[in-house]
Amino acid sequence: MLLEIENLRGGYGGEDIVKDISCRADAGEILCLVGPNGCGKTTLFRLMLGHLTATGGSIRIDGQDALSLSPKALANLVAYIPQHHAPVFAYTVLDMVIMGRASHFSAFDAPKAVDRDAAFDALEKLNIAHFANRKYTALSGGQRQMVLIARAICQSAKMFIMDEPGASLDYANQQLLMEVVADLAARGYCIVMSTHSPEHPASIGHKVLLMKEGRVAAFGAPEAVITPEILEKVYDIEMDVATVQDRYGTAHTICLPVRPPKATYTKN
Amino acid sequence: MQPIYRDEEAKLRRRYRIILLVMLIGLIGSALFSFWVGYYPLTPSQVVKAFLSRLGYQGDIIPQAVTIFWSIRLPRILSAIFIGASLSVAGSTYQGMFRNPLVSPDILGVSSGASLGAAFAILNGSPNWLVQLSAFVGGIAAVALSYIISRKSRHSQTLSLVLTGSMVMALCNAGVTMIKYVSDPNDVLQQITFWLMGSLTKVTMESFSWSVLPMLVGLGIIFLLRWRINALTLEEEEAKSLGIHIRRYRLAFIVASTLLSAASVCLGGLIGWVGLMVPHMGRALVGPDYKRLIPACAMLGATYLVLMDDIARSLLSLELPIGVVTSIMGAPFFVYLIIKKKED
Repeated sequence: MLLEIENLRGGYGGEDIVKDISCRADAGEILCLVGPNGCGKTTLFRLMLGHLTATGGSIRIDGQDALSLSPKALANLVAYIPQHHAPVFAYTVLDMVIMGRASHFSAFDAPKAVDRDAAFDALEKLNIAHFANRKYTALSGGQRQMVLIARAICQSAKMFIMDEPGASLDYANQQLLMEVVADLAARGYCIVMSTHSPEHPASIGHKVLLMKEGRVAAFGAPEAVITPEILEKVYDIEMDVATVQDRYGTAHTICLPVRPPKATYTKN
Repeated sequence: MQPIYRDEEAKLRRRYRIILLVMLIGLIGSALFSFWVGYYPLTPSQVVKAFLSRLGYQGDIIPQAVTIFWSIRLPRILSAIFIGASLSVAGSTYQGMFRNPLVSPDILGVSSGASLGAAFAILNGSPNWLVQLSAFVGGIAAVALSYIISRKSRHSQTLSLVLTGSMVMALCNAGVTMIKYVSDPNDVLQQITFWLMGSLTKVTMESFSWSVLPMLVGLGIIFLLRWRINALTLEEEEAKSLGIHIRRYRLAFIVASTLLSAASVCLGGLIGWVGLMVPHMGRALVGPDYKRLIPACAMLGATYLVLMDDIARSLLSLELPIGVVTSIMGAPFFVYLIIKKKED
């Protein structure tokens, strides 16, 4: 197993937000974190990235104790892909991607030809190398998100953490992004992503961690977790889970919040 | 055959090397030019002869030329070069660290703290070296105070450091005003006022050598670690996840930039705006990547201050303080930055 989390606890100022989380994911798998706001998804990410100190439990990544690694050693295992953003200065796309190499050379060094090659390779893998010399700040949201993914590839970590990928993108770009995420998993990366939509794990996830109030509400394969009973328990609204076929015969799972029909009043 | 984008990138790298070379030539040219700018007229041949006199040349040299070359103009030009480079490198480092393009070395209160230290020492009639040391301690104390208070704040580090910096600045300025108020108007007050205007008129080889050491240390630290400043311009969590030990680097950059700012104040008083303007000019020429920006800023800043000093000593029949000249140049530039920011 690439990622093994056991009974993890942690939070801010002595108060645990994440309580006894256990889950695991392997290389080539997408682990989706789903749950209502405030359920501890972001806290869990911050614990995994070493930004918060755990108060109990363990995280093992590729067999190493992630909670005791230096930032540099952790960066060689885990890359963080934030939502696209606007940096203060107008870096070129290549400048942005090459920052992923920070954990690969000493503090007194600057990127060399080998690092430039790695950055170009990452951009080529995502078919966006023709952006390399453009300004990152001049790109669209979807393009920026791709550049940040390229930076994670350039970092050569085995696991990517994505905080609500596509949350700030338009509909078409969200779909494209999900295809890219699925493709990254197919290349052998382990992706841990949080999402608001329970449909994401159902369509591309291999594993789902459903959280409520900092605890595991359910963990397992999407078919076992994304069910009306479990979703209702977590979200406190009635939900139907349906499978539909698109025009090419591919099956999709969709989640529908439902509500008993209101009594109709006729005007009389 | 390699793809177009790789050719373009190689071209950009060549362009950077050419720009850097042009900047170096510009710096050397403006420094040489400055030897015959000033109140006492020297012809180019007199300048060359004055230079050669120390190397054993025994020709028809007027003794004034030798004195002016070695004791007045040389320390002055060297000071302009090092202060210009120091303020510009410190400014671009602060801008990166605080992710704020409108920040300059004054923001942490270093310059004000250093001038308070200097004014206090002058008031007590301290010798030159003690004035320098006191200015230095004042600068370091100001930044330490800003940093420690900001750590207690619950606001974001970036914002609270800027706020506490301006608080410290106000406090130091009040202290300087008080010292001016109680000092002897015929002697000490003049000295302090002159210092605070920012002037290179009184620099000597001795005062230069007191300041150049901390400047070299600060420039060295920033030059060696400069690529990492890029990561500090990102969101904190993002930078951490790239494997950057943020707190450690931030401390190193603060210490180095403060060394540069305090040493500049020690040598030339308050010379404003350089640390704000030059980084922007540098970014326009070589882009925001700190690997390129720091060397470019050092050379641009040095050239800029050498030229400003030439203007200061030749524009009018009396010599202007260089701080006045840089402010006249800097204030409209700041307006331009604010307006440009609005348009974006």
